[in-house]
Amino acid sequence: MDSIIFSGVGKRYRSLWALRDVDATFRRGEVVMVIGPNGSGKTTLIKCLLGLVRPTTGSIQVEGQVIGPDPGYRRSIGSMPQLSQFPPSLTIGQLLEMMRDVRGLTPASADDGLVEELGLAHQLDKRLGALSGGTRQKVSAVLAFRSRPRILVMDEPTAGLDPVSARTVLDRAAALRSEGGTVLITSHLLEEVEALADRIAYLQEGTLRFLLPLNDVLQRSGTDRLALALPKLLADPV
Amino acid sequence: MIMGKVLYYTLVDLARNRSVVAFAALVLAVSEGLFLVEADPVKALLSLVQVMLALVPLVSLILTVVYTYDTHEFTQLLAVQPIGRRAILGGRMGAMALALLVALLFGLGLPLTVHAPGTTSLVLLVAVVLLAWVHTALGTLIALLHRDKARGVGIALATWAGFVLVYDALLMALLFAFSDRPIEPLVLPIAALNPIDLARIAIMIRVDLAAMMGYSGAVYQHMLGSAPGIAVALTLMFAWIAWPTLVAFRVFRRKDL
Repeated sequence: MDSIIFSGVGKRYRSLWALRDVDATFRRGEVVMVIGPNGSGKTTLIKCLLGLVRPTTGSIQVEGQVIGPDPGYRRSIGSMPQLSQFPPSLTIGQLLEMMRDVRGLTPASADDGLVEELGLAHQLDKRLGALSGGTRQKVSAVLAFRSRPRILVMDEPTAGLDPVSARTVLDRAAALRSEGGTVLITSHLLEEVEALADRIAYLQEGTLRFLLPLNDVLQRSGTDRLALALPKLLADPV
Repeated sequence: MIMGKVLYYTLVDLARNRSVVAFAALVLAVSEGLFLVEADPVKALLSLVQVMLALVPLVSLILTVVYTYDTHEFTQLLAVQPIGRRAILGGRMGAMALALLVALLFGLGLPLTVHAPGTTSLVLLVAVVLLAWVHTALGTLIALLHRDKARGVGIALATWAGFVLVYDALLMALLFAFSDRPIEPLVLPIAALNPIDLARIAIMIRVDLAAMMGYSGAVYQHMLGSAPGIAVALTLMFAWIAWPTLVAFRVFRRKDL
């Protein structure tokens, strides 16, 4: 079952095309890793999906609904941005309360399991401005999973996280997949990608070079490691 | 409903923001200081008008611009929630306007109530609060139109300098150039181009001190009378709040974040 459909999506910033004519379908119950060099359009792709950026061309469907001015489609999406900055004077607890209110959740319907798992339970009174980058990422992860989303979008989710917390977050993403959710992750860490991905989307200069199952990528290149497979595959386009 | 929540939590953040607290303390120190060094409350009030008409627009503008840039990621976080952009911008602008209102009520309203209670002080307070809101709207618009923080702050400073310095110089040049022609009817719309001048006109008509009123103030009083002159000046200030706010909403609705 298709969850997200990109149809001819392009995004131009002045004279620069950050995304060009991207056609891609993401299904329920899968983890897709979006990879590519710096400036390849990964973040723009995600921003288009989240409604932060308006595509110059094409359209995006989320669970059958074409993204437009109605923000309601984002009810099913949880997101974890690349770098999290929060209002410095608010506490973690106030931020969680605010986002719960904004999303229309109740204390009962919000999934606060990660607060405990990531060791934030005793830090709820801490000001967000006083947090380390890693702790801010943990807060960001809590926010992403809190509304029990059907679609999860994570931009470099493990950047700044300690290995245990990174594992916890990725395990959660895997659990969401097994519950039928769609998970889109951008990452530069190919080991992380190999461990979790069902399919790989490779972007280069704003163009989607391929969207293939991980096994296909490895088989076609005749290697068992993505780091070795990518150069071969890119030299011999799909 | 959602806008109210965004407003509430932004206000909680701003309440602990050192810049807003420092602004309130600065306005309080200046106000108290002027009333302490000047025995005559009317003279102190006139000095206060001159200081506030320069200080409040500058601080409101810079505070708004810097806060808007510094909380860009948080705006993004709100924008990926299932809420409309109107609620986000409305809540954030409303919170900034409320924070400045509270800072001015504390820093300016308190000394005015103690040292010079009366209608003149009330007009001064209302005019200065409206001025702060005008510059909150302008600051938001500037920050939305320019991605680069340094550029945004620079444009904000240039806008302030334009209202405080350049506008007066241009007005004087215009008066001098057309001194042999009746330009009174032109002064009304020209004064409306500068919210700081409008605030000064509203206050000075109330004080009724010809020496401080300036040419445009005198024209307002002459053509409209005292009370209607104040009312028109303040109404025009509302227009100065409205237009940048409306444009900011339009820009934010389509803006790539």
